[in-house]
Amino acid sequence: MPAAKAVSRSPSKLDRPEWSLAAPLGGIYLCFFAAPLLLLLWISFYEDNELTRMGFGSWRKFLGDPFYVEVVWKTLRLGLTAVVATSLFAYPLALIFYESGDRIRRILLFIVILPLLTSVVVRTFAWIVILAREGVINQTLLALGLTSAPLSLLQTELGLVIALMQIEMPLMLLPLLAVMQRIDPTLVEASTALGASRWRTLFRVMLPLSLPGWVAGATLVFASATTAFISQSVIGGGRLVYLPTVIWQQAMVIFNWPAAAVASVMLLASVLTGIMALGAIGRWISRE
Amino acid sequence: MTHMKPNRRGVLAGGAALATGALLPSSALAKGSLTAAIYPGTWDEAYRAHVIPALKKAHDVDLALEPLFAVDQIVKVAAARGLPPFDCFVLDPGPRATAIERGLFEPFDAKKLSNLGRLPAGYSDQWGVAVNAQVVGIAYNPKKLPKPTSWKDLFTDPWVSRLGLTGFQTTFGTISLIEMAKVFGGSETNVEPIFAEIKKILPKIAAVTPPAALPGLFQQGQIDITYTNTNNIATLKARGVDIELATPDTGALTFITTMHITKGADNKENAYKYIDTVLSAGIQDALMKPPSSMIPVNGDVALSADMPVKKLDELSKFVTHDWTKINPQRAAWIERFNKEVTK
Amino acid sequence: MAKRKSATDRSYDVVIGALALLAITILLLPVLIVLATSFTTSQSLKFPPPSLSTQWYEALFDPVRSRHIHLAAWNSLIVAGSATLFAAIGAVLAALSISKVNSTSARSLEAGFLSPLILPTLAYGLATLMFFTLLGQRPSLLLLTIGHLVVIAPFIFRTSLASLTQLDPALLEGSLSLGASRFYTFRRITLPIIAPGIIAGAFIAFVASLDNVPVSLFLSNARTDMLPIRMWGMMESTLDVRIAAVSGVMIGAVLLAMIVFDRLVGLTKRISG
Repeated sequence: MPAAKAVSRSPSKLDRPEWSLAAPLGGIYLCFFAAPLLLLLWISFYEDNELTRMGFGSWRKFLGDPFYVEVVWKTLRLGLTAVVATSLFAYPLALIFYESGDRIRRILLFIVILPLLTSVVVRTFAWIVILAREGVINQTLLALGLTSAPLSLLQTELGLVIALMQIEMPLMLLPLLAVMQRIDPTLVEASTALGASRWRTLFRVMLPLSLPGWVAGATLVFASATTAFISQSVIGGGRLVYLPTVIWQQAMVIFNWPAAAVASVMLLASVLTGIMALGAIGRWISRE
Repeated sequence: MTHMKPNRRGVLAGGAALATGALLPSSALAKGSLTAAIYPGTWDEAYRAHVIPALKKAHDVDLALEPLFAVDQIVKVAAARGLPPFDCFVLDPGPRATAIERGLFEPFDAKKLSNLGRLPAGYSDQWGVAVNAQVVGIAYNPKKLPKPTSWKDLFTDPWVSRLGLTGFQTTFGTISLIEMAKVFGGSETNVEPIFAEIKKILPKIAAVTPPAALPGLFQQGQIDITYTNTNNIATLKARGVDIELATPDTGALTFITTMHITKGADNKENAYKYIDTVLSAGIQDALMKPPSSMIPVNGDVALSADMPVKKLDELSKFVTHDWTKINPQRAAWIERFNKEVTK
Repeated sequence: MAKRKSATDRSYDVVIGALALLAITILLLPVLIVLATSFTTSQSLKFPPPSLSTQWYEALFDPVRSRHIHLAAWNSLIVAGSATLFAAIGAVLAALSISKVNSTSARSLEAGFLSPLILPTLAYGLATLMFFTLLGQRPSLLLLTIGHLVVIAPFIFRTSLASLTQLDPALLEGSLSLGASRFYTFRRITLPIIAPGIIAGAFIAFVASLDNVPVSLFLSNARTDMLPIRMWGMMESTLDVRIAAVSGVMIGAVLLAMIVFDRLVGLTKRISG
């Protein structure tokens, strides 16, 4: 009997969540997140700034205006670009980390968390210094004779993605490194011993095994890039409009809370869709 | 590990004090207290240095300042309707007009202020009183650019390629853009011409930026010309930034910063004492000195040489605006600005 | 590496090495600029600094001139510390509840626990303030801490969940079938394995709380001044160099903590494996 009892308690055999474990955080979320969110949804069904007339007017205005639909699309595209760009640079760094000894790992870990230690306020200033017309990049390019006129990097999507990458990389690397360190080095050695090239080992061994860490990191990167109001508005500038800017203007300057609520719910819904898609891709690949 | 003990006890005591503070409703605070919103940065620092001790000394009122930009004040009070988070507003004309529309102020009785007689006419009404005058003009870098003389210069070389453009979300941005529109044939209620002009120069200009980024962009040479409040210019100049004021030929712009009592405020009488203290000659004089460089409204204060005016009545010749006409259109302008400048 | 490297392996070294080097540059360059700026002699944030001094660190530590920064920093640390602690407990439990489940309900629960990450914190702060005003509550330190907790818990939840997927179910079954209690199994087997994930998430959560402007803006009151709001004001109106010095202090503190903990318990070893 003890064996049967043990199996029935086995955590690998669950087919539904253990609600009692989810309850503490779930309870806090119901009172302090779901309730305000419902209020926000409720506000989105008002049609006027004074919150007197109910109807679908705010939704119709938002969804009927190609400008705002494009803003939603651009915001999602920014999130996606940030995930791709961050992965492209973060993964190689994670691989180097995996292959390094303790000392180098310690130094790399410190470098990875450095951006988190500088407040967004001063970080954006540093990026102005780097990307500006007379900034570090342009000075370097001009000195090397690689360009004759200063490039405009500030207030472009390229500049914004570079600046976002700095703060997104720790968000991707920390979960990735946490997962990678559990990968058994003998698997990698076995692959090489069997004559696989390092590229093949990367794609057949490292990537599949570290996928959960990448999915976690990509989720955080996507969410953070799409909602990074300060970086978007300061580095991106007024010529690149994303949803957080629209929400800020509607809520704080124009005072049109229904419109701000519509934009917030749109952002929440579309980004959540993106994140669930990331999760589905992760599960699909790991099943392959 | 005995030497660790006081430290740990201190942390625990601090935590307990904070926990109790969190449980106490703020209305239970001692009599003789007041919470007032204040602009972050220069204002906050200057008021903490001068007004808090003066109010304590003169009226035994403990002042707590909450650093909030004008729009943040309005939104916070509107969201917490009925339970105002602070007793006093400090606002520019645009947000002030919004707050009046929304009914966020208590009626204001200016006669309760002992310093009322020192203020220029028209600086108080049934909603509040002016505590500071602001002047808006063109800010440029004298080491990089010749001095501009009119709003039109912003749209021509050599200035246009160094221009930092900011939209209708601030008071100074709105009135500057209105003045530019006037130069191109528009008016206070018709800013249409400015959109046409902006569209033409858009590929050339150095940056379109939220106001918060202006100082950093200016400092690092991304932009060398923009428009802003004179006390911003004075503050940055005092900190070694190459920045100078240029007054356009159509005249500098002026507006007043006003204080108001929040609807349902806990400490209305203390609010009058606070505002009266702010208006007193001593405080107005202290606030005028660098680094805050605020233009006083009390006629007894002798204006220092670095002020944009020599005498207070000169301000009446400056260009002013009617925000009851501007505000109804501002939402549409902001939206239009977004759409016009977006790539 | 006895055998000679093939051309493809060399291309691997070059490509991976170059990308990693660029990654380090992107991570490091802005931080170096902030640090260099914090040692400037000029009166405002400016790069390059005309010459170097520690005057802005002296100004930052001056108990009189920087009293309000100290108060705000203290408030922020208390809020971030307690929010992170409680968020970690809740988030790890929540991650455990769905880690071994692949049903639709588990997927929706996962999305639900992640959603505060995506709702713009501005909208969240505003809606939360309205909601609690409806209930007759004013902003307070307690409300502020809970607001931060909600916003940062997803970081810990997501990183813990990622680490949990690596847990070999056979280990747990073995422990349980040997008669160990669930708590004992958690403490001795699960926790050590997912600790790096929890620590990584908790660290991100802590600094996210320290840097959060909107929730602090709406849920704090005049008596609980918060550091990020104060720093915004200093940046926007005066380009105050002390905001760069704050970053310098943070970096120094973490560096020191890493060295000390490394000596004591080998913490970095546990994070980095």
